[in-house]
Amino acid sequence: MPELTSKVREIARNLLEEGRVKVVIGFERGTMPLRRTPCFVRQKGEVSRLIWDSFCENNLAKYLVGRAEPLAIVAKGCDVRSIVELIKENQLRREQVIIIGVPCQGMVDWRGVEAGIEGGEVREAEEKDGKLTLRGADFEKTLKRDDFLYPSCQTCTHRNPVIYDLLAGELVTEREADPYQDVAEFETWSGEERWGYFTLEFSECIRCYACRNACPLCYCQECFVDSTHPQWVGKTTNDSDTMAFHLTRAFHLAGRCVDCGACERACPVGVDIRKLNRKLVKDVKERFGYEAGLSLEQVAPLATFKPDDPEEFMVNP
Amino acid sequence: MEAKIINKQEIASLLDRLIKGYEVFAPVNKGDRICFERINSGSEAFLDYQNSRIPPKGLLLPQWEVLFSYHTTPGAVEIEEPPPPERRRLVFGIRPCDARSFTLLDKVFDGECPDPYYVNRRQGTVVVSLGCPKPRATCFCTSVNGGPFSTEGSDLLLVDIGDEYVIQVISDEGARLLEGSWLKDAGENKLALAAGAVRVAEASLEAGVATEGLKEKLDHSFNDPVWQQLTEKCLGCGVCTYLCPTCYCFDIVDEGAGSDGDRIRLWDSCQFPLFTLQASGVNPRPTVRERYRQRIMHKFSHFIDNYGEFGCVGCGRCVTECPVNLDIRQVLNAISQLEGVR
Amino acid sequence: MKNPYLPLPVRIEQVVVETEDMNIKTFRLSFVNREDEAAFSYLPGQFAELSVPGKGEAPFGMASSPTQAGYLEFSVSKVGVVTTALHDLEAGAVLGVRGPLGNGYPIETLQGKNIVMIGGGFGFSTLRALTNFVLDEVNRSRFGEVTVIYGARSPGLLLYKDDLEKWGKRTDLELHLTVDTGDEEWGGRVGFVPEITREVAPRPDDAYALVCGPPAMIRFTLPVVRDLGFSAERTLLSLEMRMKCGLGMCGRCNIGSKYVCRDGPVFSLAQIMSLASDGELA
Repeated sequence: MPELTSKVREIARNLLEEGRVKVVIGFERGTMPLRRTPCFVRQKGEVSRLIWDSFCENNLAKYLVGRAEPLAIVAKGCDVRSIVELIKENQLRREQVIIIGVPCQGMVDWRGVEAGIEGGEVREAEEKDGKLTLRGADFEKTLKRDDFLYPSCQTCTHRNPVIYDLLAGELVTEREADPYQDVAEFETWSGEERWGYFTLEFSECIRCYACRNACPLCYCQECFVDSTHPQWVGKTTNDSDTMAFHLTRAFHLAGRCVDCGACERACPVGVDIRKLNRKLVKDVKERFGYEAGLSLEQVAPLATFKPDDPEEFMVNP
Repeated sequence: MEAKIINKQEIASLLDRLIKGYEVFAPVNKGDRICFERINSGSEAFLDYQNSRIPPKGLLLPQWEVLFSYHTTPGAVEIEEPPPPERRRLVFGIRPCDARSFTLLDKVFDGECPDPYYVNRRQGTVVVSLGCPKPRATCFCTSVNGGPFSTEGSDLLLVDIGDEYVIQVISDEGARLLEGSWLKDAGENKLALAAGAVRVAEASLEAGVATEGLKEKLDHSFNDPVWQQLTEKCLGCGVCTYLCPTCYCFDIVDEGAGSDGDRIRLWDSCQFPLFTLQASGVNPRPTVRERYRQRIMHKFSHFIDNYGEFGCVGCGRCVTECPVNLDIRQVLNAISQLEGVR
Repeated sequence: MKNPYLPLPVRIEQVVVETEDMNIKTFRLSFVNREDEAAFSYLPGQFAELSVPGKGEAPFGMASSPTQAGYLEFSVSKVGVVTTALHDLEAGAVLGVRGPLGNGYPIETLQGKNIVMIGGGFGFSTLRALTNFVLDEVNRSRFGEVTVIYGARSPGLLLYKDDLEKWGKRTDLELHLTVDTGDEEWGGRVGFVPEITREVAPRPDDAYALVCGPPAMIRFTLPVVRDLGFSAERTLLSLEMRMKCGLGMCGRCNIGSKYVCRDGPVFSLAQIMSLASDGELA
């Protein structure tokens, strides 16, 4: 998306030139053809490092907590929603961050693309007009970008940044999609079936905590799972301990998770972490009419009490 | 024993034969990735792969294991060690980088202070490696004294020459595996083809990392501000350490209720924030900058001081699996290129 | 093959509350099996891992001299999981001990030399072991003059009050006690350890300075020791790090390429300065 790249660079150059920010957080080329990597640009002469395309998959809001300097961040739809939640949770002041919003067409799953090549190694990749052309030592293949989007991007209904200071690119039409179809289906399963599914899915977990570390809303100084005094959860890959970690983390994110998919992408063993989180996202939506990160004015439902909050689990068990 | 030749179609039969005498672990296709798992039939093995997501180090250092069980009564503590492994194990089809990683782990766990848990498993494990005719762009084994057909740590090495593998016999243990089998000697022509494949593979490896003089540069750039810039995007997630064949840091915890329980050893990571946290609250490595630097220093300087070699086999897993593409090769090259540092 | 992870059973013979805030206790332990005692031969400055089954292990410096036969003493400050569990135990309870670990004070090198020991607070425990070792009649003549400078925040926080009293009566060592803040009964010096060290001004000739205490005390004492003329090679420190295996394998206690549990905990200041250090002494 060369026009988006130029726009991002232009905005960044102006901001640095005017001295409005000390750093622009965005993406630059990675060290592999299908990878982009977070970058921190501090000199206007370096803005040519910045790039925007369908491989800018990380949630850069992760890098905002604990920074004192005025900064700008290149943020797509889900990133911006994370920023909104961080501001509401007092981890960031609105005035401190200039949001360079980028309307997003979805991010491409680079592992899916590599699998789609079937054995070859991609040495060059080019994205143009919705197509990905991939070249290796002995092959050239063209794939449709939209066939390889991340699951979270396929059903995303908030592709445009909900707030921004500057916009890079044209707003896109939000699609009508039900991101919770598979969750609704899952809800028809019995408790035993659900438990069986989760224990099987999470049996692959190696307790690396990449999911937690990739999540912008996991910013606790000491995570409950690391605590030894008391030791809340065992640290081995024992099924029960692993489930305790993931269930507790999912509940800690209830009403806060924006379903950006960073957790799933970071997981080295391909666990479907999002199913758990999305069940809670759906529950919060249905019970409290709230979706995380859409508005700075909306108060987080689990941080406040209203007399008409649903409480049937207490009153009519 | 001379090198043998085997048709790729016969590999499953060879594995079936080996399964009779060993617990055999081989690469298995899980759909989205390859893992080393125990196989019950040769047909389960999947050798048409680049490398496994998780290295086979778990065969020697499992994610968790019981060091001993304890039972306490007033005035006494009884301790029971777990029994050593019964059956011998065979890991088939690992890459030379992973096989070489075993020799590096040996220096730590079978050195001055032998670790019986590791040693028993290691002595009971036979290694059949699969050389790499097509190393990936992210592989850098040759930069750290390894190679796509390195024999270090292997008992047998398979060299792909098209429809067949030449099986190089590296050790007596390897020879014993093939004794009495139907396999024929490879013969000069096949051996020449194998040598050619090795040459092509070695030549294809781009010199990913300048490791000449790297240790010295590292030792003198500990406080250089470049570390802040290099590590700014690090998430501190620990994937690099868990997926690294030569990372071995561990934790020891007691898990139990009342009078019975276990003392357990489990994987830990120098990237985790509490790794070096002292009870007083002091943490010598409080941010990702100190922790990431420690990983690099350990593998490319301290390991050399203590064990004489790089603590890295260049498998490239940390490069491909880092969620933010923090590339160790870029970091090492940046340090190598520092000016004003002796 | 010996299993270095197995603790040996020891019984608590005696628990002494050292400090008025009850946060530091000294445990006197004896081996349940006599043959274990004979095999546990150690030097002052070494440490051991004490196990409370179900809670875990933690490292503690040997607080008693090997010349005191029949028992081992460890002083424990209540700060975490294992130490809290230890503090709840009474005489008769059985724990595990793994050791001796680490390098200990360089007794061979110290022979014939004058020894200046400067300790602060809880860090004094291994220096106490060394003092009793040197003062033992079997050893005393092998060493030169012995100077001990020891301080705590207040009189009630001084450890080993019985030993301090006995040492005070001896003529073959110079004992200087100090507290940061005195009380009505305290008749001794008042002042921080670095200041008192400067006042006492031990001579560096043929001498080694051994400094042990909290990071702040060390940070301010080292320049004093250096100004008094002690070289970095002759200034020894006993370091602390989070430890688990105690064998130099689990990877967490290193400073540079040295593992504090295996290559230390005793290091010379010269050694520490030459390591790329990210400890608080950097």
